Amino acid sequence: MLGRELVETRKWLTSDKFDLAFALSRVTPGTNLLAFCAAVGAQLMGFMGAIVAVMAVTVPSAIVALIFIYGFELGQGNPTAMAVIGSTVAAVAGMMWSTIWTILRPHVGGNVRNLQVVLIAGGAFLASWKFNVTPVPIIGVGMLLGIFWKDPGKR
Amino acid sequence: MSVFTVYFLLLKASLTSFSGLGSLPMVREDFVVTAHALTDHQLTTAVAAGRTGPGPYGLYLVCVGFLAAGIPGAIAGFLALITPAFLVIPLMWWLGKRADNPRVRGAIRGILLAAAGLLLSAAMPLTQDALTGPFALAVIVVSFYLLTFTKIDSAWLMAGAAAAGLLTLLF
Repeated sequence: MLGRELVETRKWLTSDKFDLAFALSRVTPGTNLLAFCAAVGAQLMGFMGAIVAVMAVTVPSAIVALIFIYGFELGQGNPTAMAVIGSTVAAVAGMMWSTIWTILRPHVGGNVRNLQVVLIAGGAFLASWKFNVTPVPIIGVGMLLGIFWKDPGKR
Repeated sequence: MSVFTVYFLLLKASLTSFSGLGSLPMVREDFVVTAHALTDHQLTTAVAAGRTGPGPYGLYLVCVGFLAAGIPGAIAGFLALITPAFLVIPLMWWLGKRADNPRVRGAIRGILLAAAGLLLSAAMPLTQDALTGPFALAVIVVSFYLLTFTKIDSAWLMAGAAAAGLLTLLF
């Protein structure tokens, strides 16, 4: 939607600049969507543009999220609220499994790639679940394995 | 828990993740396991509140901040959410021509795979907490299917789950 609006309709950005913002937002830590908005805002109006773009995306939805969490907290003990909270919490559990699936799916295919997925993702799971290793060293080892164990690409 | 601690813990989680809920394992480790500032149920509720409205996945950090330290905590969570986004500006300057470098791509792939394993580890206790009976199991399975194999917006899914929860009171 943003691409159509910024590149085709308003012509504020060239498709090359849009693609650069998109690619770099994928390698920026944190929420990719926010990095993308910051990159687009910075290309349009510099640092102030980045701030305005990120605020425009986050402030209204953060207020809505706060209202929901406040309502959820107030509703503890109320049967109607507990029914709503219980089912949305279950939906979140489904969402987490879907996220795991979505992260892993592009990285499978081919013996070496499958082995990388099993060893890196499975190793991270075991290290955390079984041996209580904290996330930072696990992420660090994953990064090093990613750098030195070449991805052969999909066959 | 002090507001500064909330900010730095959430910033650490945000800085070491590259996908929507990728920060969740570290948030759980710091807030639930180590500091006991939240329970698993509160953490899952925070994620639910963050996804019930529109906006990016990371919004749950605002809710975690709120549960840990009230409104100042929510502001700290909000700042921790948006701070990493601005890293893209020096990245545009420095990494603009290196985004396709195989080693950079390999590093990101390794981080993503490790993050998936960590998320699996975090998902287990949170799923156990959510799994209160056959109805909850059905909601988990249906939401997994809809989010994975259709293009449904997660806000609609949350609304549907809430409505289904209300319906259970009638039967």
